[in-house]
Amino acid sequence: MYHIGSFIKGQSLLYNLDPRIKIAATICLSVFILWVKPLIAFVIGSTLLFAVLANGISLRTIGQALKPLLFFIVLIFLVHALFNEGETLFNIPYIGISISYAGLQQGFVVIWRFLCLIIAAILLTLTTAPSQMIAAIKYFLRPLKVLRVPVDDIAVMIMLALRLMPILLTEKERVEIAQKARGYNLQRSGLIIRIKAFLSLTLTVLTGVIRRADELALAMEARNYQRGERTSLVELKFTSPDYLVLIFLGVFLVIFVALNSHFG
Amino acid sequence: MIILENVHYKYEPEGIEALRGISLQIREGEHLALIGPNGCGKTTLIRHLNALLLPASGKVTIGGCNTDNPKHQAEIRSMVGMVFQNPDNQIVGMTVEEDVAFGPENLHLPTVEIKKRVAEALIRVGISELACRNIENLSGGEKRLVAIAGVLAMQPRYIALDEPAAFLDPAATKRVLDIIDKLHFEGVGIIHITHNMAEAALTQRIVVMNEGRVYLDGTPRKIFGKAGMLKKIGMQLPQITELLIKLKESGFPVRMDIVNMEDALEQIRSLAGKIKD
Repeated sequence: MYHIGSFIKGQSLLYNLDPRIKIAATICLSVFILWVKPLIAFVIGSTLLFAVLANGISLRTIGQALKPLLFFIVLIFLVHALFNEGETLFNIPYIGISISYAGLQQGFVVIWRFLCLIIAAILLTLTTAPSQMIAAIKYFLRPLKVLRVPVDDIAVMIMLALRLMPILLTEKERVEIAQKARGYNLQRSGLIIRIKAFLSLTLTVLTGVIRRADELALAMEARNYQRGERTSLVELKFTSPDYLVLIFLGVFLVIFVALNSHFG
Repeated sequence: MIILENVHYKYEPEGIEALRGISLQIREGEHLALIGPNGCGKTTLIRHLNALLLPASGKVTIGGCNTDNPKHQAEIRSMVGMVFQNPDNQIVGMTVEEDVAFGPENLHLPTVEIKKRVAEALIRVGISELACRNIENLSGGEKRLVAIAGVLAMQPRYIALDEPAAFLDPAATKRVLDIIDKLHFEGVGIIHITHNMAEAALTQRIVVMNEGRVYLDGTPRKIFGKAGMLKKIGMQLPQITELLIKLKESGFPVRMDIVNMEDALEQIRSLAGKIKD
């Protein structure tokens, strides 16, 4: 099952690229996706999907990652489709809201851009080992050390958050199964009972996770963890493909900014 | 050498005295089993060996370093590795190699040395092929081995294991116990908490704890020879010992200090021979 920080080991140019390049490229691409005209956004999205498949990532995985965001995707689409003025395509009976062609078009374009952003982020996390990602974040945050920002501690915090994510999900499933095993059937219950069950589930899961976090802190201490600077297993090194992608990215950005400032 | 001198420890705010004057010496390279009923202070004791807990009174010294001295703590934690009961609560990294590297990273070792230690630790526990695997995709036994490798990468002189075979199936248990035996053979001191008497019988020395005190201390033969004392505190005996007790109760002249299968078989064969004659 996909969750933030999931990584699928593979071999391709994208997998082997330096994580700093991948993060920089993803940020540039995200700005680009929001900036460009709809047709270009469609081309970018299709290219991203091609990149997903070319790197051996299944569409099912992408579907799993998008599932929790489905509500927001539908909401964003509806807001644009329902509240955009334009030539009426059809009226919704009883409510008195009309849907325009422009609204539908706007809705599709916005969710397409949104999907492109998410797919780019998923592609980044699925093709980059968490340790590589953390090393890259640490690299980018390094200048903040001058301002006494605890960069190394932030890196460890990210690592622990990624580590605790699947534990949190497992804990939730465990409590749900335990509730079901004792005849707790939420499908047949009313709203109040469901809210109560949700609160009880949240409390139990949180208690379990805090207990585990406490034990984890002890285990980290046992392995000599102390706040502050640490060395790393990951050594970030640029190779030839990294330089090529970096040059491509630079040239691309210059052309993009130049064209934009010229043609608006 | 690990030396505990009259160690007392009390959990606050409950005020429960978990250790009540423990004095113990553990030699380098020794394989010691720590047994006793639940709540007798076994886990509290081994947490003192790694300076995770500090004695309320008394003294713990590891290789001459007092755990009470904050300056010695890093050295002590390199000398005594700790494997917790639940590997899920111990593993920090997302992948096997990331987790094994956590300790060496904390020791501020250069990347080349970290890579070397990670590779060596994975070879020692026989899971090199799992180096890049996601922790979430490992079995319980494999996670236990990752936890041991994580400790080994710090090159400790002693490893304290809190019920290393708990919740494991027989095959995984055997794999973990074989690795522990191998480490002992390589010269690493093992302090092994267990409820399984057959596991304890395979060690060189057993320390039985009860109500925060050392109740018995000696070789497996000596300890299991005192069946009455063990039963008094609710401890079970190895099945072999139970069998010999039953034989003795039935009037057969058997020795009671036998703890392993081979010696027990020898006894039974000699008995059978005598009956035949």
